[in-house]
Amino acid sequence: MVRALSEAQRVLKAGGRLIDLRPTMRNRRVELELPSATLFIGEIDSSSSFADHLAANEALDEALAAGDLELEHETTFPYLSDLDTLADLRDFQAGLRRSVMPESIFARIAALTADDEDGALIRIRREMQITRYRRR
Amino acid sequence: MAIRGDSAGLEKHYLLDLLASDPGHILEIGCGDGRLTRKYADLAQLVIGIDLLSTLPRGKIDALPETVSVAAASAVRLPFPAGRFDHAIFALSF
Repeated sequence: MVRALSEAQRVLKAGGRLIDLRPTMRNRRVELELPSATLFIGEIDSSSSFADHLAANEALDEALAAGDLELEHETTFPYLSDLDTLADLRDFQAGLRRSVMPESIFARIAALTADDEDGALIRIRREMQITRYRRR
Repeated sequence: MAIRGDSAGLEKHYLLDLLASDPGHILEIGCGDGRLTRKYADLAQLVIGIDLLSTLPRGKIDALPETVSVAAASAVRLPFPAGRFDHAIFALSF
């Protein structure tokens, strides 16, 4: 990201804004929402991307320390993905590039919804961070 | 029978909150299939989305406003002059 950040700064006007939107280094959580309760089922392992997160943070810290960027705003929020069925969850799993969803998640949901899958909602919760910087 | 991403609408909420009401010209780095682009494109005078591979299906390009263009380009060698954009968005781009 070091070179990409440098390029982004180059094409920004002075006073222009850089917005960085990405997941935090927390794993996604898979939940099962039933009419009576919300159950935590398991986590999707995203640790293979953590080194890239740290490199991106380091590049941004260097730009801040050099006075090239000014931090204006930073917050985190949950990004929720709602799925109706285990087949939807398989589709979600197929779209994962670097994260790993353990098979135990499918087994747990199958067991918990064996009687009534229609009344359950599968929810994937991912913590995101969004940060705005001003180019000096 | 579908995956409903950002079902609480918080990603759109926070992104629009951080973009000015008139965000001018926006470069989105790592636009992928335009999932995020669609959330703010109506606000901007011009949006250029880039990704390493142009993965935006033609039908989705047609669904975007005319102010949006998508190009295959590398984030480390942007084919634009200095000082071209009011906003640059890094969208999950690593």
